[in-house]
Amino acid sequence: MASPLAQFEIKTLIPLQVAGYDISFTNSALFMAITVAAIMFFMIVGMRKGALVPGRWQLSVEMCYEFIANMLHDTAGRDARKYFPFIFTLFMFILFANLIGMTPYFGFTFTSHIAVTFAMASFVFIGVTMIGLAKHGFKFFKLFVPTGAPLALMPLLVVIELVSYLSRPISLSVRLFANMVAGHTMLKVFGGFVVALGALGVVPFAFIVALTGLELLVACLQAYVFAILTCMYLNDALHLH
Amino acid sequence: MPQLDPAVFLPQIFWLFVIFGLIYLFIAHSAAPKITQVLERRQARISSDLEEASSLQAEAEAARVSHEKALEEARIKATSTITAKREAIKSDVEAEYAQLTEKLGTELAAAEVKISAAKDKALDEIRVMSADICKEIIQSVSGLDLDKKIVAERVSAKFEAVKDNANG
Repeated sequence: MASPLAQFEIKTLIPLQVAGYDISFTNSALFMAITVAAIMFFMIVGMRKGALVPGRWQLSVEMCYEFIANMLHDTAGRDARKYFPFIFTLFMFILFANLIGMTPYFGFTFTSHIAVTFAMASFVFIGVTMIGLAKHGFKFFKLFVPTGAPLALMPLLVVIELVSYLSRPISLSVRLFANMVAGHTMLKVFGGFVVALGALGVVPFAFIVALTGLELLVACLQAYVFAILTCMYLNDALHLH
Repeated sequence: MPQLDPAVFLPQIFWLFVIFGLIYLFIAHSAAPKITQVLERRQARISSDLEEASSLQAEAEAARVSHEKALEEARIKATSTITAKREAIKSDVEAEYAQLTEKLGTELAAAEVKISAAKDKALDEIRVMSADICKEIIQSVSGLDLDKKIVAERVSAKFEAVKDNANG
């Protein structure tokens, strides 16, 4: 029986080296490409008619759009409107990656790689910080000074705020990564039990069926959480406190 | 854990940025504007339809009001026509009645004049006849042949007294 963690292994499909750096096309990159192709297919086919009265498919696309648009509007306000394409892309990318990763047997979930989630979270973190700095200049650092706190506590509070701010990319990336790893590992472990227990394997099999439903929920939920936290960080940067 | 092998970091991050950039460009420049356009067109259509509906409603309301006004005007006109006609007929009837009354009055007066003339004539004849009869009676009773003129005077005086008595 293969290790439950074997599903997370990176396999190089097309070896590629540029200036001594390894940028091989791997199974992870393949699934990113599949994810992107699926999103494009979903949107292009869904919106091909652009009908006034939408069909089911078009309505799904519109619902995704409006869901994220409303979320961005509610959490970050109206001036965050121009960052909508990025948030929307982020949500769809993670959502489709998580869902496609749920494909049994040959599915690979690249969001279960800390390198990927941390890269996305860092990009969000750096981007949001730069937006805040560009908008508010030096005043941006007021974000680390809680209003109405006693002056004596200020040094401590500033340190706490700073640490909590700097830990954002870590919590954002680890949350998604850990959820994906835990779910997929659990599925694999119970999948091993099905084979090992023979006729009694129906019990873990039933459990896997239920767990798959739960994992589908987690896949959607984590995409949502990632997107809404990005919106909240954006709101902090745009409006400070 | 294969995720913690530093060798897998760079190829994944590189392809992540390339592929994410791709889908970002697609969504930002093609998919999202298209959805926005469709949603805006739908919103515009809905609001224009609502506007049209409300303007039609206002039109219908105006038509109802003008219809009611026309009805009211017609009713007033009909009432005034009826009143005028009734007045006209009434005055016609009154005029005719007055005319008739006047005509009857003159006829009555003429008749009365005629009657009184006839009466006077009859009385005169009676007087003459009475004088003759009196003379005849006196002659046959006493044998006196009185002058016709005197008898007539006496009868006439007696007649006047009776007539005065009767009238007075």
